Amino acid sequence: MMRTDWRDHDWQLIHTIPQSPSLHMALDDVLTHEVGAGRRKPTLRIWEWAAPAVVIGRFQSLRNEVDADAAQRHGIEVVRRVSGGGAMFIEPGNTITYSIYAPQSLVKDLSFQEAYAFFDAWVLEALAELGIKAWYQPLNDITSEGGKIAGAAQVHRGGAVLHHVTMAYDIDATKMLDVLRIGREKLSDKGTVSAAKRVDPLRSQTGLPREAVIERMVATFRRLHGLSDDIVRPDEQARSEELALGKFSSTAWLADVA
Amino acid sequence: MHGEYKMPGGKLVVIDLDVRDGRLADVQLSGDFFLEPDSALHAINAALEGQPEQASETALADAVLDALPPDVMMYGLSPQAIAVAVSRALHREAEA
Repeated sequence: MMRTDWRDHDWQLIHTIPQSPSLHMALDDVLTHEVGAGRRKPTLRIWEWAAPAVVIGRFQSLRNEVDADAAQRHGIEVVRRVSGGGAMFIEPGNTITYSIYAPQSLVKDLSFQEAYAFFDAWVLEALAELGIKAWYQPLNDITSEGGKIAGAAQVHRGGAVLHHVTMAYDIDATKMLDVLRIGREKLSDKGTVSAAKRVDPLRSQTGLPREAVIERMVATFRRLHGLSDDIVRPDEQARSEELALGKFSSTAWLADVA
Repeated sequence: MHGEYKMPGGKLVVIDLDVRDGRLADVQLSGDFFLEPDSALHAINAALEGQPEQASETALADAVLDALPPDVMMYGLSPQAIAVAVSRALHREAEA
């Protein structure tokens, strides 16, 4: 396998109507598989959320991370994703989430640390264009003078790598801390969170609506790497809906790490 | 019993376990680390299950290392960090 560059691939954009949390989990699974199998071109997918959610990492303990009663009280669905990393607190419009489904050749011979930074270099450029001085903070964060902006996670599947990122646009920190149990050891990372009512590094540092930030990010990706508009194929959609209702809604998966 | 360890330059490593007849039981590793293949999580839990309560951190780390598949990928996690989290779970009362 030869190392490839962004421009060696014909990048596709998927940005559709809001989807349920479990369907997002399933789409990541299916689209990564399709790129790995060579049936789909490398793709950037921008997520839109139909409902609030807590998304926990593949190896996080459900009971240690989430206050189930508080989640239910706020009407928040809890789902587990296929990649490692930390919990995300999602309400429609409060974050910007994207997935990159890429051939492994793109990061061949890179260390994990290099691969994380590589996949988000275009985002740092987009943020710079928006006036935000941001940088990569190993292992898997994008941070800025106004605090942590984003967390990334990767998972490798048969020839493909999924790199997905959630960026804080304007998060209700009080509600987040009500639902997520943030342990003693982790508090040092989230110190800025506990002090603030809102975690809004993108909103406060750009002054732009969320849609405008996304538009700028997509434009930057398109200019740097090339990007054609695409949709989820009917067979991909059908398979994703099946997995969303099955595996990704099952207690066995959600409580796999109890 | 519950132990947490934020690995320097790494992620949060959490161990929940019980001790029965002087041996580790119902061991569950969790955290915000990256581990592939994901089945390695259960292999690590199984490797720790039944280890003597008095086992050294080195012995625990070696047990984890031996249980890992050859193609394992760890990011923000190591056998040593897991051993520290186990040790913290076992000695939590002493720490507090």
